[in-house]
Amino acid sequence: MDYVGPLQELRRRELPRGGWSFSGSPQMSLETTCLATFSVLAEQPSSAAHVIRPLLNAQFSDGSWPSFIGDREPSWTTALVICALNSANDLSGARKRGLSWLLKTNGREANWFWRWKFKLADRAVRFDPDRYGWPWLPGSASWVIPTAFSIIAIKQFTACNRLDISERRIRLGVDMLLDRVCVGGGWNSGNTVVYGVPLQAHAEATAIALLALQDEGRTPAIRDSLGWLKRRSSSIESAESLAWCILSLFVYQEPVEHLKAKLAALVGDGHEIRNNATLATAILALKCGEMIHPFEVLG
Amino acid sequence: MNIDRRRFIGSAAGMAATTGVATVWLRPKHSVSYRRPRSFVAILNAAEYSEKTEALLMGGLRLFRFNVLGKVVLLKPNLVEDLPGPVNTNANIIGAAARCFLRLGAARVVIGEGPGHQRDTELVVQAADLKPHLADRRIEFVDLNRDELAKVRLKANYSGLGELWLPRTVLDSDFVVSMPKVKTHHWEGVTLSLKNMFGVVPGMKYGWPKNLLHWHGIHESILDICATVPIHFVIADGITAMEGNGPLQGTARELGRIVLADDPVAADATCARLMGFDPLRVQHLSEGGRFLGNLRADRITMLAERIEAPIRPFAVLPGFHYLLARTVL
Repeated sequence: MDYVGPLQELRRRELPRGGWSFSGSPQMSLETTCLATFSVLAEQPSSAAHVIRPLLNAQFSDGSWPSFIGDREPSWTTALVICALNSANDLSGARKRGLSWLLKTNGREANWFWRWKFKLADRAVRFDPDRYGWPWLPGSASWVIPTAFSIIAIKQFTACNRLDISERRIRLGVDMLLDRVCVGGGWNSGNTVVYGVPLQAHAEATAIALLALQDEGRTPAIRDSLGWLKRRSSSIESAESLAWCILSLFVYQEPVEHLKAKLAALVGDGHEIRNNATLATAILALKCGEMIHPFEVLG
Repeated sequence: MNIDRRRFIGSAAGMAATTGVATVWLRPKHSVSYRRPRSFVAILNAAEYSEKTEALLMGGLRLFRFNVLGKVVLLKPNLVEDLPGPVNTNANIIGAAARCFLRLGAARVVIGEGPGHQRDTELVVQAADLKPHLADRRIEFVDLNRDELAKVRLKANYSGLGELWLPRTVLDSDFVVSMPKVKTHHWEGVTLSLKNMFGVVPGMKYGWPKNLLHWHGIHESILDICATVPIHFVIADGITAMEGNGPLQGTARELGRIVLADDPVAADATCARLMGFDPLRVQHLSEGGRFLGNLRADRITMLAERIEAPIRPFAVLPGFHYLLARTVL
């Protein structure tokens, strides 16, 4: 697949001081920069020091990262940055500090008071508050995508030397994801059934959750979700969701060539894709099979 | 009367505490007021979405006195999910509104939205069939979830948030038009022009959904956001509305109306009345009526059709029966 044009376009959009914004602004986004880092590293591993420098510079003293430069609050992107630094095999110690922050961070429902509230008084949304993961930002509840990326980050970084505390958080996060599976398979942001009515799954959330569960046993929930994603991917016309579908289906050894061809047609030379995070994810998806998968977890 | 030191200190502390509590209670929670002596609302009858919508809308807009000459107009529709049914503001109305504002002299029209659930905004834009309406180069779509952000001190303090990061596109626009879909909502009862402004809060900072706002109170957050990002005009899509378990899983309800207003509270109060609800019973509307606009019918001038109560009020979830108006209007 032709990813050279899109990659050149992505590199052209790099901010003068390094890093990438979402689309045309000078405000570096950590999510975009991580995804672009994976894309650039997959093609030019020698540029690791250059592309991860803005990530290292953005880390807070508590080990976390913000969602964009200028923000002074920790965010879910901490997990994604750890994954990016895993890809770059960074040895600065930033990953260890990031892991420490991740292990201390919970969705708000982890607090006993809120757990009891959700168990006894607030039953509109069906979920088990005993199974919690990670929030988008401190002060909010656990949601599927930040939990999935946190699981991937911890699994990758602790693959060779995992302490009990990391294993416990991984198990809790996996349990939370399995609790939030939509009826019929797949995931959305994290609300599966509201007032007794099932909500629809989203392709992107499903793909990312499945990436986090790639080394888990194939439970019926995971099998159903994989089936849902395969069916859904065939009708997606959006580069962002399609790219995530490819990245996820690939690790489950599902055929993706037809999806890659469709994605290549959608992306073209990359000029029309304004969102740099989408462009970077699309490049990764087009390179699937020709690089070390950035979200691969070795079981 | 003799008073010993211990009693004096106790009394003084009690008075100070009482004064402190009273100050908190009595201090206004908003530093702005957008209420005017009169607000203007036009209810347009429209049985369906068609190519006639633009002409209808243009006629309706000309009933109002506003000036968008040379201005950047932000249309903030309600684009939530890639779902069928009346979930999103109809693209036909969004496109028609964009073209109308250009015809009225706007320099540029930006359609901005930051969906609260679906992270893939492109998917929502595709599902809403908005793309054909973006052909004019003066009409641009901006994903507010991923725009450049600026930190802003909130101009009301109901939620306790104090400040929010908001998109530059919103802050830099000259004329903000909220374009809600008329729907019931399973948390707040209704979602109309004020609630629609949740979509300006950026997902890249606050996540999907923007859950921090829920923890700080949805009604309270709505008031703070709308105090900070004033809505200059409302175009509410009530042709096919939603009742029951909205905003995503409700059922279609043919209302056959587009509601235009130069005041978001007046617009939402009118929509609520059209739905068969008492607007005073919607928490953020009754409080918003103190400073965001006019709630009372005697302060609202109807420029086109009169409000007619529905033969059957909109269906609501069991917890929201209190919204139903006891008397007809």
